[in-house]
Amino acid sequence: MLSSDEKLVERCIQGDDTAWEQIVTSYTRRIYNLGYRYTNRRDEAEDLTQEILIRVYQNLKSFRADAGTFQNWILKVGRNLIIDHYRQTRRFQQAAGTEELETMNLKDEKVPSPERTVERDEAARFLREGLEALSPELKEAIILRDIEGMAYLEIAGLLGIPEGTVKSRINRGRLELAKLLSKRRAQLGWQM
Amino acid sequence: MKCPQFEERLSEYMDRTLPASEMGQVAEHLHECANCSALLEEMRSILLRCRSFPSYEPEIALIERVLLRTTGRPRTRTFRELLDQYFLRPLLTPRFAAGAVLTLMFIGLTFGLFRDRISSATALLSPRELFSQMDRGAQALYSRGLKVYDKKNEWQAQFTFIKNNMLNRLGLMIDQLDVPVEGKKKSGEPRQQQEKNPSGKSSLLLLPT
Repeated sequence: MLSSDEKLVERCIQGDDTAWEQIVTSYTRRIYNLGYRYTNRRDEAEDLTQEILIRVYQNLKSFRADAGTFQNWILKVGRNLIIDHYRQTRRFQQAAGTEELETMNLKDEKVPSPERTVERDEAARFLREGLEALSPELKEAIILRDIEGMAYLEIAGLLGIPEGTVKSRINRGRLELAKLLSKRRAQLGWQM
Repeated sequence: MKCPQFEERLSEYMDRTLPASEMGQVAEHLHECANCSALLEEMRSILLRCRSFPSYEPEIALIERVLLRTTGRPRTRTFRELLDQYFLRPLLTPRFAAGAVLTLMFIGLTFGLFRDRISSATALLSPRELFSQMDRGAQALYSRGLKVYDKKNEWQAQFTFIKNNMLNRLGLMIDQLDVPVEGKKKSGEPRQQQEKNPSGKSSLLLLPT
């Protein structure tokens, strides 16, 4: 039995524009945030999201429902383009300043207090800076598992590596990040 | 258990996916090693921060651009957006605001000038006034109905009277026609008299007074 996403894909292939609009509306936020986690830049995340969705539209016919869910497929296409982008630029951008964060639309809290917003932005910036110091593989593993909340098996399918390797990368990434942040906090004299 | 072995198992320990025997060894090591205990706390803190990492909402224009570049069609607007686009936004302009203020001033002025009339007009529209008007209307209608009924009775009486009169006169005429021929000459005079003064009443007198 086809899932709702797969039905939408079928309708898209038959030329139903409203089905494509539903897919775009459903996945834009997810892909945009994924792009932002990797690049730390809003403009690049937007460009990547646009490019990924156009690529998905052009390759809808190559989606096979028996090979995995549509969500995994679209994330795989997205991840491949993000990695290509990384290879072209040869770097993931350094963390954007908090001024960019302040101009973005935060959706997690309905009405966060100014103190809470500043505190959260500061914690997010601290964590992002730690992530930037990790190798791309470890950073990717942490983003997918701990920030995006994906299951080990999903990550393994997305990255095309065994589940054991995923677990190992996640553990190493967490350890490195913990040691790094602990050291930096000690340097700054913070208590978070 | 040594620190490197502990570190290898840290994620699985946190996920509680380690075998029971190893869970015990890790717990024992944590009890003994302050550094590893601090590392575990740091990792827990990182996981918490990762899970509350802010999620950002992309601009609507991004969806618009993607749709235009793929299907070539613009995004379907929600009812609220359509309301905003075609009704609220055109209304919330300085020109409209100035017009609205002028209109309100005009209405206020008009109300001030014709306040007495308006208040009497609005008083007429009160439920009590409306009820009394309806009551008066019903009474007027009832009295008009009574008058019409009386008129009808009067006309009916006149009609009956005229009808009876006509029938009487016809009866008399028939009686006169039935008189025998021999008696015609003898009864000539009285007949002439009768014609001059038939039954003592003229036709005009038969009319109702």
